[in-house]
Amino acid sequence: MGKKTLVPLGPYHPLLEEPEFFKLYCDGEIVKEVIWETGYNHRGIEKLCQSKTFEQVFYVVERICGICSTSHPFAYANAVESIPGVEIPERAKYIRSIVGELERVHSHLLWVGLAGHFLGYNTVFMWAWKYREPVLDMFEIITGNRNSYAMFTIGGVRRDISPEQAAQLLKVLDEVERKTTLLVGAVMDDPVIHARLKGVGILTAEDIHDFGAVGPTARASGVDIDVRRDDPYAAYDMIDWKVITANDGDVFAKAEVRLLEMYESISIIKQCLEALKKTEAGDIKVKVKEIPPGIGIGHAEAPRGEVFHFVKSDGGNSPVRHKIRAPSFTCIPTFRRSCVGGTISDAAIATAAVDPCYCCTERMSHVYDYTTGKHIMSAAELIKLSQEKTKNLKAKLKV
Amino acid sequence: MDIEQYIKDIKIKFPKIIDAEVVNTKRLMIYIPKSSLLQIAEYLFKYLAYRYIIVTAMDSKEGYEIIYHFSDDSSGWIVNLNVMLDRDKPEIESLTPVVYGVEWIEREIMDLLGITFLNHPKPERFLFAEDWPEGKYPLRRDYVEEE
Amino acid sequence: MSAGSCNNCDIEILDCLTPKFDIERFGMKLVGSIRHADVLLVTGIVTRKLLPRIKEVYDQAPKPIVVIAIGACACTGGMFKDSYTFKGPLDTVIPVDAYVPGCPPKPEAMLAGVVKFLNKK
Repeated sequence: MGKKTLVPLGPYHPLLEEPEFFKLYCDGEIVKEVIWETGYNHRGIEKLCQSKTFEQVFYVVERICGICSTSHPFAYANAVESIPGVEIPERAKYIRSIVGELERVHSHLLWVGLAGHFLGYNTVFMWAWKYREPVLDMFEIITGNRNSYAMFTIGGVRRDISPEQAAQLLKVLDEVERKTTLLVGAVMDDPVIHARLKGVGILTAEDIHDFGAVGPTARASGVDIDVRRDDPYAAYDMIDWKVITANDGDVFAKAEVRLLEMYESISIIKQCLEALKKTEAGDIKVKVKEIPPGIGIGHAEAPRGEVFHFVKSDGGNSPVRHKIRAPSFTCIPTFRRSCVGGTISDAAIATAAVDPCYCCTERMSHVYDYTTGKHIMSAAELIKLSQEKTKNLKAKLKV
Repeated sequence: MDIEQYIKDIKIKFPKIIDAEVVNTKRLMIYIPKSSLLQIAEYLFKYLAYRYIIVTAMDSKEGYEIIYHFSDDSSGWIVNLNVMLDRDKPEIESLTPVVYGVEWIEREIMDLLGITFLNHPKPERFLFAEDWPEGKYPLRRDYVEEE
Repeated sequence: MSAGSCNNCDIEILDCLTPKFDIERFGMKLVGSIRHADVLLVTGIVTRKLLPRIKEVYDQAPKPIVVIAIGACACTGGMFKDSYTFKGPLDTVIPVDAYVPGCPPKPEAMLAGVVKFLNKK
C-alpha cells in the first residue's frame, strides 16, 4: 500500500454540505436559543420493519446508524427474544458482549478524533482514527465487515470466534490500550484542552432527568445509570466491570467518561474471551420457531447511551409495531440547556459533547441572529470559530 | 422490587387505573384512562424519580394506543403507562408540563399518526418535508402510498 | 455529501483521509466548499426532505463535476427503496458518473472506484 505518512490536513469537515439541523440564535457572541430541526435522514425505518420478517429486521436496524451498528441489533434482540422468552447459549452471550464492547471502543475513538478536529487538534483526529483501524480490522476478521456486522440472529449469533481470532483480538486490544493511554495522556493533561473543555456545555443532574438523557452524557453529570448494570443482558452480569461516572457535567467530564470507558470495554472483552474457552465451540444459537403474540421491550447500552426497542408481535412473521429510540433522541435536546448562555465559539464542541449520532439524528448547526433572524454562519464556519479559539488560547497560554 | 405489592399499592393510590399486568420479565404495563395521564406520570417521574425513556404510539385494533415508557434504573423494571384513544377523537393532553423531554416525541407522533397533543408548546411538523401532504399519516393502518 | 444515509459510508469516506488509506497520495483532498470541488461523493437514499437540497448543491458545483454514488443506498436505494420517504435513487435526481456499491464500500473500494474513473478520462 506504499509508505505510511502522517499528513496533517487543514480544518475541513467532509460533511459540510449536511442539511441544517440546529439553528443557533445568537445575540452577539452569546447563544440565546437552539432550535432542533430534523427529518432529513428520516428513512421510514419503523414502517419498513413492519414489512420485513423478524429475522430481516436485524439487517435493517443495523443500518439505522453506522457507528452504533451493533447496539440496535442488540436492543432489538433483547426485545424480540423476550417475547417467546428465549435463553440464548452462554457462548452467544459472550460473543454478543465482545462485539458490543468492541463497538464501544471504536465509537469512542471516533468521537475523540472528531472532538480533536473541532478543537483544532487535527493530529488528534488522525491519531484516534488511525488507532481505530486495527479495531475495524478485527471486526472484519470476526464478523466479515468493518461496519454493519450482521452478527446477531434470533436465538444467538451467526458466527463463532475461533481461538486464532481470539488470540489476534487480544494482541490488537493490547495495542489499542497502549495507544489509548498515550492519547489520554496527551489530551487530558493539555492546559489548552482544560481551558477549552472545562466549564463548557454543563448539564446538571436535573437537566439529565428532564430530558431523559442517557449514556456518557448522563454519567458525566454524576447520574449513575448504565443499562448493562441496571437491567443486565448478554454476559454483563457474568463478568467484573464498573460503570464510569464523573461529576462536573461539562465537556471535559464527558470526554473523561468516554476515555475511561474504553479501558473498561477492553477489560470486558478480555474476560469474555477467557470465558469463551470454557464454553463449547459452535454452540452459538438456539432455534426459535416463531415469535408468539406479545410485547417485547428491550434495551442495550450503546456507546451513546440506552438504545430502546419496542416490538409488538401478533404471532405473524413480521412485527406489527417496532418502535426504535436511539440515545441521541433524548440527548440532543439537552443543547437547550448546555449551549444556551454559552458563546458561539464553544457551540461546536458543546454540541459534539453529547456525541450526537449523525444519522440517528443529523448534526450540523447554523447560526442566526437572535433579533433579526439573519443567517450568520454555517456549520463549517462554526467549527473554524472553535478551532480559532483554541489557537488564541494557545497563544495566550504561550503553549 | 416486590411487583405484587407494587401493583396493589399503585391501584389503591390511583383508583382510576384500569388494570396493571406484567407483560414480560421486568416489564409492567399499567392501563389508564387518558384523564389520569398527567397525575400518574407525575407520580412516576417526579415522586418516584423514574427515568423517562420514550413514548410509543401505534394504530391498534382497538384504537390509537400510546405507551409512555419509564425506567426504574435501581431495579431494572420498565414501567409503562398505556392509554387507548378513540379513533374518532385521537387527542390527548401533552405530557410536557410533567416531563419536559416529551416535546419532540409528541411532535413525531403527530407526524406519523396524526394524534393531537393538546397544549403542546410547539405543535409543528417535525419529521416530514415541507411538501409532505397534510393528513397523510404513514403509521396509520389506512395509510396508502401516494402515486 | 449525505443524502440521508446511515453514515457508514460517510465514515468510510472520512477513513480515506486517515494515514492508513491516505487519499492525498493520489492527488485528492477534501475541500471546504462545493464550489472548489471537482468530484462530489454522495451517500444515502435521497430522502424527500433532502431532495431540493441535493439539486441545489449540484447546481452550485462548478461544471464539469464528477458525481460518484457511494454505497448501495446511493446506487439503487438499497433496502430503503420501498420507504415512503425514498425519492431516489440518486441518478434520477442528478447525473451520476460512477457507482461504488457496497454496504458500506471499503475505503479501498472507494479509492479504486475513483481512481479507475479518473484514469478512464
